[in-house]
Amino acid sequence: MTTSTAPNVPIPEAQQPAPQRPNRQRKLASPAPWFLLAPSGIVLLAVTVAPIFFLVYTSFTDYSQRTLFTGVYHVVGLSQYADILADPDFWASVVRTLLFTAAMVIGSVVIGTAVAQLMTRLGTAMRYVVTIALIFAWAMPTVASSMVWKWLFQPGYGVVNWLLTQPRVFGDMTNTDWANNAALAYLSIWLLIVWQAVPFIALTLYAALTQIPHELHEAARIDGAGEWRVWRAVTLPFLAPTLLLVTILSVIWDFNVFNQIWLVSQGGPDGATSTLGVYAYKVAFVSFKVGQGAAISVITTILLIGLTAIYVRNLIRSGEDL
Amino acid sequence: MTTALRAPTRAPVKVNRRRRRKWGSNVLAVVVTVVWLFPVYWMINTAFKPRPEVMTSTPIFFPKSLTFTNFATAITQTSFLTNLKNSLIVVSGTLLFSIVLGLFAAAALSRFRFNGRRFIMVGILVVQMLPGTALLIPMFLVFNSIGLLGTYWGLILAYVAAVLPFSIWVMRGFFITIPVAVEESARVDGANTWQVLTRILFPLVAPGVIATSIFAFISAWNDYLVAYTFMKSQSRYTLPVWLASFTNPQGGTDFGAQMAASVVFSLPVVVFFMLIQRKLVTGMSAGAVKG
Repeated sequence: MTTSTAPNVPIPEAQQPAPQRPNRQRKLASPAPWFLLAPSGIVLLAVTVAPIFFLVYTSFTDYSQRTLFTGVYHVVGLSQYADILADPDFWASVVRTLLFTAAMVIGSVVIGTAVAQLMTRLGTAMRYVVTIALIFAWAMPTVASSMVWKWLFQPGYGVVNWLLTQPRVFGDMTNTDWANNAALAYLSIWLLIVWQAVPFIALTLYAALTQIPHELHEAARIDGAGEWRVWRAVTLPFLAPTLLLVTILSVIWDFNVFNQIWLVSQGGPDGATSTLGVYAYKVAFVSFKVGQGAAISVITTILLIGLTAIYVRNLIRSGEDL
Repeated sequence: MTTALRAPTRAPVKVNRRRRRKWGSNVLAVVVTVVWLFPVYWMINTAFKPRPEVMTSTPIFFPKSLTFTNFATAITQTSFLTNLKNSLIVVSGTLLFSIVLGLFAAAALSRFRFNGRRFIMVGILVVQMLPGTALLIPMFLVFNSIGLLGTYWGLILAYVAAVLPFSIWVMRGFFITIPVAVEESARVDGANTWQVLTRILFPLVAPGVIATSIFAFISAWNDYLVAYTFMKSQSRYTLPVWLASFTNPQGGTDFGAQMAASVVFSLPVVVFFMLIQRKLVTGMSAGAVKG
């Protein structure tokens, strides 16, 4: 990097064209930035970009557990994809993933928006208390929160079981085994994910809400708009870009949720909570049909590409100076 | 608030309604706080309760006695020390490399203008959004064939790649705020590019370095999936796998110990998280964190 000194140091000699207007950033073809970028570039290319291509290649092979030791595998064309698309388990998993993602995203965005709105109506002290509570939930590592969840929903001793038994509405739920019933397993995982997703959404939206000029709300009220009208006509348009952003991020994250499902229900009972990520993992690393797992991952990635593209385009448009 | 204009005569009503709404908001806020804090409280509560008070049919919300037995059990029962050592090695490696590489790249993307810069910026964003679970399979195969599977280096490499885009993005934000004049005056004084970087720019982005270090720490410390899949042996696992291993599928999980382990594992994360929370809110929306 020491090689690039020359062009930038002002040389007080005749051949130097009269004092240049200082550029904000140097446009000279200096190799310095490339040297600086190289280490990161190599790591990212080798560990994230290349594997994506390798993933696609693997999905066209019959890579299996044996291959890990012998290195022998065959290119089988599209047959992994054909197998998957003919497999009802796969389709069940796709439907499950879409529905579950929708449920989680709607739940966390709606509750997150409500909490953000609530925060604008609180005094400083109360708002501080809520913020701290939210940050605690957000900060918990997902492995720890999953363990806590299993304990909260433990048959026989779980607090939630006890709590639901008290009003005598749901009957005696003391021994309900949440992980062993598809609907209940979903419900408890949904609660876990929404609980941990709301803090980010609420705090981000709250930050956006505080940016809305106060006069606009007042003007709308003076014009006689009710609370709901004010929200629809003034708050929502201001909030929309941020709302879109957190929604897209939530979809991407929730689509790929793994730890919580794996640790709370292992994708069970009987595969009932195996979303695409868990399903691909089980095929690739439990049954060790690596080629097939790769094909499922490719399909998952393709399903997400559209959303990711919208998200990246939005970011680029949002005026971030690239 | 619809009454706002008909003010003078209705004033008392308005004040009343506003007060009632304020009251309602506060009640709701208390509910939100309790719901969001309860699981955390319950973890801590269980961790400090003696076993007979943990396994009760009616939960004991306010423990009568405090004990550290659960913590003792948690850190002696399994391979805690080995796994802690593994975690510390992997986390430090991730920190070191992601900071150094990130600093260089961020400097390049903020203090220089060159062809292809925009392309690289967008590329970094896209790379960041690739689903981790999809990368797991090919990474596993490649690491297997070049002997990185089950090694610290393999895990460090995977984590560095995962946090690097965010590190670059955040540190670039800090670089941009440094006025060009600072850099120019150093050059006038005869500093070369390397000196400008190491003596002037890097010290000025120190806050960014701290924020990204904490982020890298949290990501590497928390990861369960990659460590669990790549390390495949008790003596090589990191702490998240240790924490998950308390679960006994046959029943009879020692929940007191498991909650104590959860507290031990979460504590550093929560502390660091508090420190960079603000940065995360803006950083995540700027696009760079995997959830």
